[in-house]
Amino acid sequence: MADVADVMRTIHDDPALRFELLADLCGVDTGTAMEVVYHLWSAGTRDWLRVVASGLSREDPRAPSVTFLWRGAEWAEREAYDMFGIVFEGNRDLRRIYMPPDYRSFPLRKDFLLPDDASRSPGEGVRPMEAAPEPAVLTGTPADLRHARGATP
Amino acid sequence: MTSPETRIRSLDDPSLFVDTPATIYDAIPPYPPRTEREAEFYTLREGEMLINIGPQHPSTHGVLRVVLKIDGERIVDLDPVLGYLHRGVEKICENSDWHMVISHCDPLEYIASMFSEYVPVLAAEKLLDVTVPRRADYIRVLACELNRISSHALFMGWLALDLGGITPILYGFLERDEIVEMLAALTGQRLLFNYMRIGGVNGDLNHEFMSRLGDWMSHALRHIEDSMTLINSNEIFVGRTRGLGRIDRQTALRMCLSGPPLRATGIPYDVRRAHPYSVYPELEFEIPTREEGDSYARYLLHLDEIKQSIHIIDQVLHRIPDGPIMAKLPRLLRPRPGRAWAAIESPRGQYGVYAMSDGTDQPFRLRIHDPSFFNLQSVGLLSPGHLIADIMAIMASLDPIMGGVDK
Repeated sequence: MADVADVMRTIHDDPALRFELLADLCGVDTGTAMEVVYHLWSAGTRDWLRVVASGLSREDPRAPSVTFLWRGAEWAEREAYDMFGIVFEGNRDLRRIYMPPDYRSFPLRKDFLLPDDASRSPGEGVRPMEAAPEPAVLTGTPADLRHARGATP
Repeated sequence: MTSPETRIRSLDDPSLFVDTPATIYDAIPPYPPRTEREAEFYTLREGEMLINIGPQHPSTHGVLRVVLKIDGERIVDLDPVLGYLHRGVEKICENSDWHMVISHCDPLEYIASMFSEYVPVLAAEKLLDVTVPRRADYIRVLACELNRISSHALFMGWLALDLGGITPILYGFLERDEIVEMLAALTGQRLLFNYMRIGGVNGDLNHEFMSRLGDWMSHALRHIEDSMTLINSNEIFVGRTRGLGRIDRQTALRMCLSGPPLRATGIPYDVRRAHPYSVYPELEFEIPTREEGDSYARYLLHLDEIKQSIHIIDQVLHRIPDGPIMAKLPRLLRPRPGRAWAAIESPRGQYGVYAMSDGTDQPFRLRIHDPSFFNLQSVGLLSPGHLIADIMAIMASLDPIMGGVDK
């Protein structure tokens, strides 16, 4: 993935491009791979440019740091590391930025699930409250009771 | 019978907590350094010491902890510690409906929340390919510019407050209160408006809003200028801010600054002109810039921007068309799969949202780019060499909002 650094250096330095303003740097977890997404802006073209470094492995995502061009990317890279575990090679301060230092997971990864029902989408069907099951029947065989509580038989 | 030494202490025993060293507020972290920079920062040379500011300190504008490395009264280096206000808004947004995203993003930039709810709406509209009615666009611009003025008025008071002057913030709050009451008449809320909707706005202009706006417009500029003459040429204020926290153009670009701190160095980057959105191409206004790049230039720039905002509001009121305020959209939104980047100019700089949709009713990824986060970063670059008291003036002139910094 060393090309990322070369690409960024070229579009930053090339006199025809001059994308000197880093509008954003963020990590993305597509569920199968990690990405680092850069948004740039140039006074020449007066438009945004999106650069996507895609296909980083989910087990050990690594990308070169762009702090040699934009020192201000340091915190953005720390944030992407904190939230996705993407390691930016060349960033001299790659610590967690939001979560406590002893925290172990990467919260914005797709396999980090929120534990409560509030995370369920109302669009998936009826809302959980509306879909409340019938009140449990307290008579009958133990198997019926288990079924009424929603356990699999 | 147990001796006091061997007695097992209950967790209810308050002395347990009194005796426990409060490591979280210790300047030196209780673990070995993890990065090159951390090792460098927490190694003290002869005569240096570490002190803590925050996490609860009036001049940090929120819950920010700063570890200062000082030599006498001079700052050698500093290490901001973030995350005390982290709520995981991006994760919450991924797990909520597109409409719910608006109210989750609302409290991020809580001084100017009209902007932080505008951006996700703009990103969703790009993904939905929906055209917003022109009247709604004008109302959005009107509400945003009013909110910009209230935020700037508060900034100018705050800067003086952090330098020890109490009076200007009272005048700042006077302006802000009039605007906030006006927006409350429009939106129903004073602080977190929840006014933007995907495809339009929540309510049309009403009589109370318009009459308050008319009253305010008749004296706004005069009031703001009057109250700011208190500090504009105040010798102490100017002496303490001029030449402080100076940053040049190249460094400003390298530090990813945006908004007033960037324009104070002479780069006319304003998203309203750099990549116009809404009805800004039709409106006539200037992008004020300054050359000095110091705290005083940033302060004066805010005053110029207030004048431009009043000019914009004046034009909006003359041009606003009749018509609907909401586009026709289904209740449950399922944008096309794709990626969208939307950015606007908030009072603190470029506020962006990068939204990815997978075709369901929830955003797949919603990245929130908050300008305060990027602007606050350069406090580490600007402060070394200055006095401890000056770090307040530098930080206040960068105008961070911790709700947005910590997300």
